[in-house]
Amino acid sequence: MAVYPEPRFLPCGDLAVSVEFADEVSRAVNARVLALEYLIQQKALAGVTETVPTYRALLVYYDPAAVGYGGLVTALRSLLAQAQPDALPPARTVELPCCYQGELGFELTAAADRLGLEPAEVVRLHAGADYYVYFVGFTPGLPYMTGMPDRLTIPRLTQPRAKTPPGSVGIGGVQCCIYSVESPGGFWILGRTPLLLYDPAAADPILLRAGDHVRFRAIDRAEFDAIAADVAAGTFRPRIAEGAR
Amino acid sequence: MRLSVQDGGPQTTVQDLGRPGYLRVGIPPSGPMDREAFALANRLVGNPQAAAALECTLIGPRVELADERLVAVTGAEMAVTLNGAEVPRWSGFRVRPGDVVKLGPARAGVRAYLAVEGGIATPPALGSRATYLRGQLGGLEGRAVRRGDVLALGAAADGRPGRLRPELVPTYPDRVVARVVLGPQDDRFTAAGVAAFLAGPYELLPQADRMGARLRGPRIEHNRGHDVISDGIPLGGIQVVGDGQPIVLLVDRQSTGGYTKIATVCSFDIARIGQLRPGQRVRFQRVSVAEAHALRRHHHLTLDAAIEPAA
Repeated sequence: MAVYPEPRFLPCGDLAVSVEFADEVSRAVNARVLALEYLIQQKALAGVTETVPTYRALLVYYDPAAVGYGGLVTALRSLLAQAQPDALPPARTVELPCCYQGELGFELTAAADRLGLEPAEVVRLHAGADYYVYFVGFTPGLPYMTGMPDRLTIPRLTQPRAKTPPGSVGIGGVQCCIYSVESPGGFWILGRTPLLLYDPAAADPILLRAGDHVRFRAIDRAEFDAIAADVAAGTFRPRIAEGAR
Repeated sequence: MRLSVQDGGPQTTVQDLGRPGYLRVGIPPSGPMDREAFALANRLVGNPQAAAALECTLIGPRVELADERLVAVTGAEMAVTLNGAEVPRWSGFRVRPGDVVKLGPARAGVRAYLAVEGGIATPPALGSRATYLRGQLGGLEGRAVRRGDVLALGAAADGRPGRLRPELVPTYPDRVVARVVLGPQDDRFTAAGVAAFLAGPYELLPQADRMGARLRGPRIEHNRGHDVISDGIPLGGIQVVGDGQPIVLLVDRQSTGGYTKIATVCSFDIARIGQLRPGQRVRFQRVSVAEAHALRRHHHLTLDAAIEPAA
């Protein structure tokens, strides 16, 4: 577990290179990843076709007809000096309503038992935390987040379930996850948000972005249903504040 | 100005050259599994190579054309008939209003491409008509086409049919070679593990789709576990999971993952994986990044000169 003195450039076939900053997960390392991506976008770096930020690496796709490997690495190296967290624009804070009740939080009681806490305390701790989105991926719109208090650290399920409904909010290890599409899952499901993290019918189908902060607001089933109806009608506007650090 | 689907076949989807730019939010590019055959199908009917066309899997569809158009079929060896009479593959041919084109079961290869002059004109999603089935995005309502669907077509451009130079028509052998660049995590394997990987061969398992191809062959030994901190998965990225067996990630792949990646299949050999059938085998051959770029250039030059006027 270390931050490298110099980022490593790892070839990924003939169309991509991974810029790897560290062998650890930290906000500081991730901020450098996001800052490099931001600078590539701002400068419209020649030959770069797309970028994928993750915890400690930026995957840079390129068109070898437009830029050679050596030329790309040189251009990335020169950007790295400027790729510092203060180069990033202010982060957003996105409020996600979450219903922790009944079938929507179908593993809340089991998780509380495992943690030795009352379910209400788990909800209070979970909804009271500030989460940071390192990156979005695996499935469309799925955020990789941490921020939970240590008391909610819990081993992942030993037997992953085959299907998890979209919007399910789960915890595993030190991570909090929101399933964006129906998929298998190994996290303990505490609740569900009525918002769509991925909406293929929308012009902008993805709700959360790398670098966002997320706050959960506990809601009851009636409010969940009301918001879900507004989401389905296309009239719900999520609460998003600009300017967090 | 439309194409009516009389029989969709098991998995026929609208594709174009893909939807770049959204892997950063977890949406894969999609697009054809055999990019070369796809682009050639378009060029044979005078379309830009990025025009939308149909990708047909194992058994082709039966479609009716409403007006006069050029049509071409490339890729997997599916017998092509026009109103019941066989017509050549890899060659543009003209259809008249009411004509029915049918693609039979593939005798070799997996994926065939049916291009129509003017291209398919389903509404683009995020700038692309490519279908991403798991994400229900693009194509026709984000799904495979089926009987009764009607697909709009773009304006025909009065093109002339082309044909692929006969010596370039590909075959789909039982054993293929795919060139790879080692990395990004080849340092997570023992020397014996890397040697086993490069010796192969690996057999395609039935669990293979547009997302990834699961393979079985010589065990690839890790030196310190099979997990990495989740990072981006490139096109052709080869994950080696806990059992030492590889999975090649393809056009509908997950954007990120936490398994070690020993190597990456080069872009110009992705189609060889995409046309492989369960039980057929691939051997991986190591090249450098510079060699891969030279091979890619050569590959594109060959394709650029691949078409001649049809008789």
